[in-house]
Amino acid sequence: MEIPYIVNPRKDTGLTNSKIAIWLFLASEVMLFGGLFSAYIFLRVYADYPWPERALPVLPGLINTFILIASSVTVVMAWASLKLRELTKFRIYMSITVLCAGLFMVLKGMEYNAKFHHQAVRLNDYAVVEGHLHPHEGLKGTEITIEAETVSIDLFKFSKSYYADFSAEWDGKLQLEKALVVDGEEIFPAGQAISVDMLSQAKELFINNRANNAEILEDKLRQSWKFAKEETPGENNRNAERKKLQNDKYKELVDAIPAGDLKTAVGSLTFKATSPIALHIDPKKIYKSASDKEGDSGSIVLNDGTTLAGTMGNSDIVLDVDAISFRHTVMQAEKMGIDPEAAIANSWLLKDEGIKTLWDNHLIVVEKLEQHLLEEYKTKTDANGNEVAKRVPTEADRYRMGWKEIVALEELQKAGKDLHDLTHQEIQDAYPSMTAGFTGADHKSGKYNFPKLTIPREQVLFESKFTPAWNNYYAIYFTMTGLHGLHVIGGAIVLAYYLFFGTGMYRKNPEWLANRVEVGGLFWHFVDLVWIFLFPIMYLM
Amino acid sequence: MAHSIEEVKKSQKKFLIVGAILFIGTVVTVAVAKIPALDIGVHGFDTADLILGLLIATIKASLVLMIFMHFTGEKFMVYFSMGIAVIFTICMVWLIGWSKADPIQFENEDVFRSGIVTES
Amino acid sequence: MSDHADHHNPGFIQKYIFSTDHKTIGIQYGLTAMLFLLFGFYLMIMMRWSIAYPNEPVPEWMSFFLNDTWKAQWLQNGKMPGETYNMFGAMHGTIMVFLGVVPLGFGAFGNYVTPLQIGAPDMAFPKLNMASYWLYLVGGIIMCASFFLPSGAAKSGWTNYPPLSFFADTQHPNQWMTGQTQWLVGMVFLITSSLLGSVNFITTIINLRAKGLTWFRMPFLVWAMLVTGFILLLSFPPLEVAGIMQLVDRVWDSSFFQPSGLYHREIGLVNAAGGGSPLLFQHLFWFLGHPEVYVLLLPAIACVAEIIPVNTRRPLWGYKSMVYGVLVLGFLSFIVWAHHMYMTGMGPAISTFFQTTTNLISIPSVILLTCLIISLWGGSIRFTPPMMWACAFLPMFGIGGLTGLPLAFSMLDLHLHDTYYVIGHFHYVVAPGILFGLFAGIYHWYPKISGRYMSKVLTHLHFWPSLILINFLFFPMLIQGMAGFHRRWYNGGDAYVVTDPESANVFGKVVAEHIDLNILMSTSAWLLAVAQLPFIINVLSAWIWGKKVENDNPWNATTLEWATPTPPGHGNFTKEPIVYRGPYEYSRPEVDEDYYPQWQAPVKPKAETNKDA
Repeated sequence: MEIPYIVNPRKDTGLTNSKIAIWLFLASEVMLFGGLFSAYIFLRVYADYPWPERALPVLPGLINTFILIASSVTVVMAWASLKLRELTKFRIYMSITVLCAGLFMVLKGMEYNAKFHHQAVRLNDYAVVEGHLHPHEGLKGTEITIEAETVSIDLFKFSKSYYADFSAEWDGKLQLEKALVVDGEEIFPAGQAISVDMLSQAKELFINNRANNAEILEDKLRQSWKFAKEETPGENNRNAERKKLQNDKYKELVDAIPAGDLKTAVGSLTFKATSPIALHIDPKKIYKSASDKEGDSGSIVLNDGTTLAGTMGNSDIVLDVDAISFRHTVMQAEKMGIDPEAAIANSWLLKDEGIKTLWDNHLIVVEKLEQHLLEEYKTKTDANGNEVAKRVPTEADRYRMGWKEIVALEELQKAGKDLHDLTHQEIQDAYPSMTAGFTGADHKSGKYNFPKLTIPREQVLFESKFTPAWNNYYAIYFTMTGLHGLHVIGGAIVLAYYLFFGTGMYRKNPEWLANRVEVGGLFWHFVDLVWIFLFPIMYLM
Repeated sequence: MAHSIEEVKKSQKKFLIVGAILFIGTVVTVAVAKIPALDIGVHGFDTADLILGLLIATIKASLVLMIFMHFTGEKFMVYFSMGIAVIFTICMVWLIGWSKADPIQFENEDVFRSGIVTES
Repeated sequence: MSDHADHHNPGFIQKYIFSTDHKTIGIQYGLTAMLFLLFGFYLMIMMRWSIAYPNEPVPEWMSFFLNDTWKAQWLQNGKMPGETYNMFGAMHGTIMVFLGVVPLGFGAFGNYVTPLQIGAPDMAFPKLNMASYWLYLVGGIIMCASFFLPSGAAKSGWTNYPPLSFFADTQHPNQWMTGQTQWLVGMVFLITSSLLGSVNFITTIINLRAKGLTWFRMPFLVWAMLVTGFILLLSFPPLEVAGIMQLVDRVWDSSFFQPSGLYHREIGLVNAAGGGSPLLFQHLFWFLGHPEVYVLLLPAIACVAEIIPVNTRRPLWGYKSMVYGVLVLGFLSFIVWAHHMYMTGMGPAISTFFQTTTNLISIPSVILLTCLIISLWGGSIRFTPPMMWACAFLPMFGIGGLTGLPLAFSMLDLHLHDTYYVIGHFHYVVAPGILFGLFAGIYHWYPKISGRYMSKVLTHLHFWPSLILINFLFFPMLIQGMAGFHRRWYNGGDAYVVTDPESANVFGKVVAEHIDLNILMSTSAWLLAVAQLPFIINVLSAWIWGKKVENDNPWNATTLEWATPTPPGHGNFTKEPIVYRGPYEYSRPEVDEDYYPQWQAPVKPKAETNKDA
């Protein structure tokens, strides 16, 4: 017997096998994206930080939407061409579809790339600064600098590949602090230079000795229990007398172990630097750190258990600022019952002259906007009978400056214009156009000036690139669009397979290929359908 | 599925029209969100924008589903599996939201703050 | 397909390893799942030692396979420390549920029996079926291989709740190479596997039914597999979402499940964005977690439902109500999940909702069980090996189900939550319940698979000790749980014992009263392991020395799988089967035999014999 209903549908269900399968698969996909959407709603509605609505540059998203819609049309046209037995047309339409998929992923890649290179810093007062990192003093990114004097290595977790990351800075500069003496035998003398071989050897020794000790002690523990059980028959292990007997016996047995049987198991080696080594540590590799402030004596524990001790160096973050936001500050202030304006005025950020000027100008811009909205949309009477403006600036308008506003204000200032004399519209005209900075703030072209800001590390509460780590908005953005992107790639592979290897199927039975393309197309439309929702909720809301 | 040649020929035109509608719908959503003059509701993002955006998205999605995916002429099993998936998705969103929105409320929360519970 | 003919003479590897035949895949699933079950059992044996004798070194017969280095790493002078216990506990749960029982019930029985019972030549997508098995195996191996990593395997319970799981294994150079991350990676494989599996099953059942096999002529097992397939299809994706989100949390440092201001004893204020919610994980997890219980249960109850009519020689009582029951059960199972979360601060309105649905779902469960019990009434019962297990299933699963009722009420759950009562409840459901049902299935279909009967003597040696010991193992848990024993105590409560009768510590005294049950339970567990030896010997030896079956239908059953040759060849049926009647036509007056197979053409074409059952 052969498997039926591969090409022709079964009479009573009216469906082929693959048609049922794809719809079932789509049902499960509905649950998958349903789960993600419910996570999105949950995270957004109950966010205890300002949700960055309308934060992404719309243009790439919009183009991607057009691309996906176009590909959806072409894939259904490809199917229709097969139904009409027009193989050439099918090939053309299918090629366009696959090309669209590629284009979509390229744009997606550009968007991701821009975010991976865009830095954000949350200060202790919850003010947020965004911008591009400005390399300085040997710091490429946001590394923490420590002038390490001693380095202790956890031998159990020691791994060669991880060590290699540091060896360039360490080799020749670190010496063993104390001689490694195991059972009277000096394995490594004090002052021996650090090396991979030495650490590997010490690791092996540690593991062997530890195993040796555990074996002996386990045996003694067993003997002590055996003895205690024989002495107290009929009792159970919680019997006080038995416990005491066992405990005493164990001590006695351990004391009686011949000298030399138990080996010293040294689990970590400490090295001294001949002169303090400046190490720049990627924050991702840090498990915990005692202090961030420059000049403090500090210690850093890395993820592999290595402890660096010494003086904290310069770990300042230097940014070409392209956005400032006090929205989180305001939120926290309101939560604690503090006046938001005062909280902003007290912010460390406004102690910087340049930023302060920028912010003062921003307040004028907000004022102009408020005026403009009042003139444009007039007033209404609220529930208390007061005359209020119909439209007012939003939280984001008031407490956040985006990159376009920053460059526009810098520009106007350079041109020597007083903001007070300008109208709302005139200020708006100074903003870069909608197409400027395709994937966000345009640092590359050199057309725009961004103010430079140095943030001392101790002012930083949290910093990250615009990766999932920055906040849950970006986390869910990357997760959802990433999963969607994987679907795009998967779908494109399947469709490309029909494009390049479908001819054989077509020759055997055109209807067979048409069915397969229909099934692949159904998946493709679903991918489009998900994007139709993803685009507004991520880019426009 | 029983798609006769005439039907397919006819629907080709339909596909192109739907594609055009999808384009227009996208442009409208973006315009409402981005151009201040077209902003509905109050200034900036608000419920009206949310409803409009999701409404247009839903219309677009149903066009894709109905026309491109021929969902209108499908068989019972397809409706059944998609139907329960949608029902369970709604249940999931609704119940997770409800669970969070309905926390236990205590008359005197200070009891928990001080960490001392006196016997009554 | 035209290339189908090539499959008839496959080489060894194609026939037994990378097979696309549903029967081979079913056996592969079964054997793999049983190996995983043994491994999970073994972890539990070690854990039970730590519970019963917390201060004594683990005996050598348990720790024999650990070398000295491992002992030094995972044991403390031979004793089991809490961390190792947690690791074993987390992996015991994960292995038993995801790698053991589900693949045995759904993967093995579903694959082997379902296509035979609906008269199909194979599954609808044989290659997908193979992929499904291999993804499962890879996922399982990835999870178990994490024992060999420096971090050890996952250690945050089988539920993997953040932020506990978030902090586990953070201090490692490479986050990918930690047990906690590998658990998530393995899970993604398992989820993909069951997704492919369930799509395949549902398609097969919908489209590949034999001629005349209308919906209400399908055996109950097929119905159960259909519902199980839908549950897997729709409830696993949210867990996949949760798993992916946790993976992003671990590897790309997001804060989906980490609230703001999270503080850690060692690290201090955690360097993360915050703003997430641990409860979101629990919701997404239990959205799968609860339906998963029915994924475990339905194949087992379905096996029992197949075995009882055969061995009572009368139709299944209330077949239609059982079918409707299982459909309602499947539907309701999606909206009861938060009864696992009464302690998370849910308010009265929402917890009332979940209490209501939880109690509603007990109705279809009771319908299923009652129908099976009533089916016994008035039958001429043959106590064949499968029937013994099936009969034991009924009361054992009954205890499991009834002990669940108190947990459905939030007020009682306040006291019983996270105690051994919960452990006792679900182990009653899963071990003497579901596993007994699956044992019944193995004994029932073994003659079809191998062409030989399993030994009756060995069956008795397996059955009676198992039945007695498993009750000694799990019943005391219910008592301990009501006394307040916490489910995650690695020393069985030793640290809480108060022996001084004058003490004001009531709890300590209650613990002291019940702690010695631990020894009884642990001893039963170890003896239970011994009691499985006859089974292993039986399965292996019967393959060679077992008594051969007399014909293709040794139990004189009525469903289609017995119409195939023994063992069924590639393509299953020698001629296309046609179904004439319902699945459980026993003791019908119109035929001389006491059974009237589905495939047997009507003797005298009467109008009523063609009707649905």
